[in-house]
Amino acid sequence: MIGGRMRSKVVAFFEGFIIFAILLVLVQTFLEDFAVLIDWSWEIRRALIFAGFAFDLLFTVEFLVRLFYAFLDRRVKDYIVHQRGWVDFAASIPLLMLNSGPTALAIIAGGTFLGLGGILNVLKVIKAIRIARILRLLRVLKIFRQIKYADSPMAQRHVSKVTSISISVFVFGLLVITLIAGPLGIPSVDKVFDAQHEAAFTLIADEAEKGNIETAANIAENEADVLLVKSDNKVIFSRLSQDLAPEDFGPGEYSYMGKGAVEVYFSLQGLARYQAKDNLIYFVIIIILVIVFLVYYSPHFAITISDPIHVMKRGFEESSYNLEVKIPKQYKEDDVFRLAAMYNEVFLPMKDRSASEEGSEMVDLQIDDFDDLFDEGT
Amino acid sequence: MSNAEKRIMSDDNQKASAFILRLLGNPALQGLTALQKEEQIIQFLAKNSRQLYPTLSSDQFFQGKNWEQIWKILTAALFEEIDKSLHPTLKNLITDKIELSFIPFLRQQSTGYEKIKEDLYSFIIKLLQKQEARRAFTGPFSALVFNFADRYIDQSFARKEYVHFELTKVQKLKMSKEEMKNMIAVSILLNPAVHLLSVGSVPGQQESPGGTIQTQFAIKVLDVLKNNLPSIPDEVLGSGVNSNVSFLENRTIGATARITTLFVSRCRNYNPNIKIDRGADTADKSWFSIARRNYKFYGYDVKMLDEFYKTAAENGW
Repeated sequence: MIGGRMRSKVVAFFEGFIIFAILLVLVQTFLEDFAVLIDWSWEIRRALIFAGFAFDLLFTVEFLVRLFYAFLDRRVKDYIVHQRGWVDFAASIPLLMLNSGPTALAIIAGGTFLGLGGILNVLKVIKAIRIARILRLLRVLKIFRQIKYADSPMAQRHVSKVTSISISVFVFGLLVITLIAGPLGIPSVDKVFDAQHEAAFTLIADEAEKGNIETAANIAENEADVLLVKSDNKVIFSRLSQDLAPEDFGPGEYSYMGKGAVEVYFSLQGLARYQAKDNLIYFVIIIILVIVFLVYYSPHFAITISDPIHVMKRGFEESSYNLEVKIPKQYKEDDVFRLAAMYNEVFLPMKDRSASEEGSEMVDLQIDDFDDLFDEGT
Repeated sequence: MSNAEKRIMSDDNQKASAFILRLLGNPALQGLTALQKEEQIIQFLAKNSRQLYPTLSSDQFFQGKNWEQIWKILTAALFEEIDKSLHPTLKNLITDKIELSFIPFLRQQSTGYEKIKEDLYSFIIKLLQKQEARRAFTGPFSALVFNFADRYIDQSFARKEYVHFELTKVQKLKMSKEEMKNMIAVSILLNPAVHLLSVGSVPGQQESPGGTIQTQFAIKVLDVLKNNLPSIPDEVLGSGVNSNVSFLENRTIGATARITTLFVSRCRNYNPNIKIDRGADTADKSWFSIARRNYKFYGYDVKMLDEFYKTAAENGW
């Protein structure tokens, strides 16, 4: 008994902690993109990236623990399908493996400017990271399992279901569009930036290979995204300064192109800002969707379905309960309210007559209401 | 009775009082009037006798007694506890809250109001010694404690529809609204007077399923009541007694009697602190709506119910 109580307390603490973490991660998700958009310092952005990594790690552990216990209880399918285990999965492991994990690793491995430049073309990794980032939006759904926002389990389940469908379709729709955009040749901001950088690189490399170092430097000067140009390991152009230091660039915020002895580093911060803006728009759309479902649809569901059912249930169960169901004019033809009309017009009057005929008053007291009825009898 | 028997009885009474106080302390009874609590506990004891008996007949309580004996001990303790709060409240209601200034509008009266109030109080206390009268007094007592009639009469006077017409034009009460309210209050107080002639649980003869009595029986009761309360005008006594007669059986029943019927019935289970669930209609509106559908069963005046239903709906009662 004591062990069971202790376990309940631990579980309650764990669930409370997860709710807190979900709320925090939503703030972190917003701030991570917001920081890029309004150009906060790399230190802050790096802290936010590590925070994201920590959250992904936490949610991965949470998913694995829940999966483990579901496995022990032989209800893995129930957990994955009915208890939103799929949301726990989609909002944890893929993000850890494809988004925050690689980013954090790159930072830890010294993936700052020039550190990895010559060795690794980070761009390919970055694309995977960007696509996976979309899955972060699913985190919003996690909150639905933990927080009880409706009195009726049916109302909670329905609102939660319709919200999940909407957000999942939106998120996976974005994911699919992003994935197929490349193969189908759909224009994207990435491609525009890639094309611009390739064109600039070709011009600079051609001039540098011809020995026109000054011309190559001038071209680099006119291309806003060119950060640094090296030829034969000598820097022929650099936009880097005290205001624009290499330390200000995180992995994924610059790209590298090299051909022969010519190496060019491009800033991807402009692209990152575009994407941060898009991410914030998606995030805001999802938050608005959730708010609309909770603030508008949830009460609508309660008024038109769960509340009348609750009132009728009490009327059937409790001898003293004789309140009628309130029937809104605009919904009076709904099945639920047609049933409620029968409850009001037939059942309640019959119940009242029956109580009168039997001479039984409406008793509110139940024997279960007393825990220690006989304790002080002596 | 030997000293040992007296001691055992006293011991039983103490146990019964402790048990009853425990029941009365239940939070589910909060907000109810003394008589509503009493009714709830009586119903509770009756409904749960099978579960309660094994423990109540053990040496911890009333060893060796059968359920009938235990029932008597417990109900006596219950009435004693309830009377502790019922009597002062009733005294206060009759002496301080009810005004008898309507009496001169009905007949010349030489007896002072204080004396009439004392007679009225004594009569009710005597009446309440009968268990069935106590039960019947639950609704009237709640109606008076919660001033239930006042707000509906105020609204009826504002609407000037059926109820107002019945009071002023048909029953021809030539008095102010406040005096009418007091007359109705006394009528409500006298509603259980039919139990003056009751034998067992019914007032002298078989009640109809809706709890009404026949006109002939009401006439007999009225005669007895006139002897008991000679200083109260016949119209008021008749209103109280006739509030137990079906309006469908006797269309000549006065408006005050019909109003008394409705308010007494409404207040039997009235709880002003009831929590209205979301999706449910308000308590009065629900009650009047159900009563409209059952008006034939209870012998209510359906037009009066219609008006009170509209009043309740419009005022969110």
